[in-house]
This record gives sequence, structure tokens and C-alpha cells, in this order.
Amino acid sequence: MSAVCFCLGRHSASAFRSFTGSAVVRYVQTAAAAAPQAQVKKLQIYRWDPDTPGDRPHMQTYEINLNNCGVMVLDALIKIKNEMDSTLTFRRSCREGICGSCAMNVDGVNTLACLHKIDTNTSKVTKIYPLPHMYVVKDLVPDMSNFYAQYKSIEPYLKKKDESQLGKQQYLQSMEDRQKLDGLYECILCACCSTSCPSYWWNGDKYLGPAVLMQAYRWMIDSRDECTEERLAKLQDPFSLYRCHTILNCTKTCPKGLNPGKAIAEIKKMMASA
Amino acid sequence: MAYLVRVSSVCHRGVRPLLFRSASLIRPLAAPKKDEGHSSLLTARIHATPSHYAVSGSSSASHHWKGERALSVILLSMGPLAYFYPGTVMDYSLAAVLTLHAHWGLGQVITDYAKGDSKIKMARAGLFLLSTVTFAGLCYFNYHDVGICKAVALLWSK
Repeated sequence: MSAVCFCLGRHSASAFRSFTGSAVVRYVQTAAAAAPQAQVKKLQIYRWDPDTPGDRPHMQTYEINLNNCGVMVLDALIKIKNEMDSTLTFRRSCREGICGSCAMNVDGVNTLACLHKIDTNTSKVTKIYPLPHMYVVKDLVPDMSNFYAQYKSIEPYLKKKDESQLGKQQYLQSMEDRQKLDGLYECILCACCSTSCPSYWWNGDKYLGPAVLMQAYRWMIDSRDECTEERLAKLQDPFSLYRCHTILNCTKTCPKGLNPGKAIAEIKKMMASA
Repeated sequence: MAYLVRVSSVCHRGVRPLLFRSASLIRPLAAPKKDEGHSSLLTARIHATPSHYAVSGSSSASHHWKGERALSVILLSMGPLAYFYPGTVMDYSLAAVLTLHAHWGLGQVITDYAKGDSKIKMARAGLFLLSTVTFAGLCYFNYHDVGICKAVALLWSK
């Protein structure tokens, strides 16, 4: 609540300062900088509407003034949807890199639109595509059902051999064992890594992909889980795990700074020594 | 829920891949996929890897991976070894290791890119033939000519 009040306070202050009174300035910081020169940035956005018969995928160009827009790509998308073209379709929720909804391909890099700053070089056009090699539902919205089904297939939850003790008491974990999960549990399943992986592009139906494999590893090394061998045995085929050729696009693109490539390498080591 | 309805409506209309409009690149959607001949495990239906469940329990895939790593290390160490100890034994070991290394490497390429049962079989047969001819050729070269070690050394001799 206090944050909202603070925003409102800044807001009204800037409105007084501008002496116009009528113009509602949405983004305070940029407006307060008092830059009269419009910084017009061109955004090219992938558009495809399945409900329009005969519509083919195309790029649509939007021009936004960076002076009255937030700094992130998601701010620009929301601005376009609010003020210019309400038909533009994209997923977003938290706008702070926690939900993973707004994963998309900005200037050739899979990233979260809410964490990716707009390139302020106005001579360059910023291109925005949906996640590569996914089926598109509409505009920037990809079909994630295969990805989620793969995630489900690794059984991402604690498994116990003896289920009669379930719910009787807490499963305790040492500090060291808990620390092993750092760098793994933070994954928000935005699919940026999986959809940047060429192996996943060619064999996405059978290869699990970096995001799902990293979660598989997260449950394998959890000290409270008792089914590590079974989890490893499930990957014993040429496709589920071994389509990873350590290309490392996954690690390079991860908007959360995680390292799926290393997790997959650890699984391979566990498989080799199991 | 609305999203699911949306997706299913799209599915009915038939979504084509938008970036690469090639029939060979179309991969079936996972959700409506009907799996033939599999157990009714939910995961089996979703994650349709025939080999996944066929070889479950064996560890052939990880053994293969281990073999590849071991072979790579052996091949790396054979470079300097062949420089210091050239000879007939080294010639024939190089022929074998190089051939196997290439065979496994190209096998991975086939697993990556070959689609369809008949195409995979053809590619595998072709690769087997290629590797056989390569190994036979290298052995012939070792037997009737100067051998691999000497041949590489000759590159620097003139």
C-alpha cells in the first residue's frame, strides 16, 4: 500500500511541475526528466490471428515514444495494447520476472519481456517474436502444452518408497542438503532455455529439454526424495536426456541466470556412475 | 480453462508451424497425441518416446555415452603417442579408433536429424557401410602403403 501511495505522490508532483495539469503522465521518471524531444522507437511485432480467415503471420510495426514509456519491453507492449492496438495478444502477469508468462524472443534472444530493457538506440528496430519453434496460439502466445506435459512426466514432487508415513511428520533437511537446491529451485519454467535449444527444436517431442531436465535433476538430488534411481532409469534412452549436445544456448539465454546446461551435465555424470 | 478451449479450437483448425513451413518439421502436438501399443501410463501417453519405455531398466544409453567419452579421451591421448611411438600397432589402433569415433559421431547426427523408420534404417545402413569402407581403406593403407603415422609425418617433411 505504501508503495502505491508513494507512486501517487510522485505522480501528482510531476503533474504540478509540468504545469499542464490535464495530461496524465503515466511514467513518472521519464516525464520528470523533461525531455521535449520525442525519442521514437520502432517495434516490429509478430502478428498472427487464427480467427481471421486467410491471415498469414506478418510483422507489424509500432512506433512508441520512449519518453513516456517504461524502460522494459513489457511496458512497451502494454502501452501498445492500451493505447494503440488492443488486438495485440501476449501473456503477462507479474511484470517482475517471477511468473515466467511473458517469455518471448526479443531481438533474437529468448527472454522475459518484463526483465528486458528496450534498446534505446532509436535507429534500430526492435523485433519481437514468440518463443522459437513453438506452435503459436495467437500473436506472441505460444502453445506450451507439450512443455508442461514433459514437466509432468518427470514427476516434479517428493517421492517416497514407503507411502504409509506420508503426512505424519516433516521431512527435515540439513543446511548443506538444502543448499544443493540453490540455482535449481528458482526456475520459473518460462521455457526460454528449452525453446533456445536446437536439439529441442528438432526433437521437442522426445527430448525433454533443458528446463525440464534441470527440474528432473532438482528432484534427483533432493535429500528427501527416495526415487533417484527410478528417475535416472527413466532417462535411459537416446532421446530424453542424450539429445543434449552441450550447445549451452540454455545457460546463455536464461533470464534468471540459472545454468541448465550444468544440471544436465550432472545428470549425465549420475547416469554414468549409477 | 478458457485458454484450453482456445488451444483446442486452434488444434481443430490445424495449426501449421509458422516459421518453418515444411511438412517434415511438423511435430505432433503432445496433448491430443494417441499412443499406440503403450501401457496406459499417463506419462507414457504424454511423453511419447517409444524407446523410452522399451529400454527402461537397461542402461544402454548411459553406457554408450560413457563409451563415447572414453573413446574421445583415448583419441586425444593417441595424438602425442603416435608422434613419439609411430609404428604398425599405432597405425591399426588409429584406424580403429578414428573409425569408431566417426561412426558414433555420425550416428548421433542421424539420431538428431533422421525422421521416419525407413529413413532411419537407410541412414544407419549407409553409415555402417561408410564406416566399414573407411576402416577397410585405412587398413589397406596401413598394409600396402606407409601407414597413418608416417603419412601424417610426411605432411611436414617437404
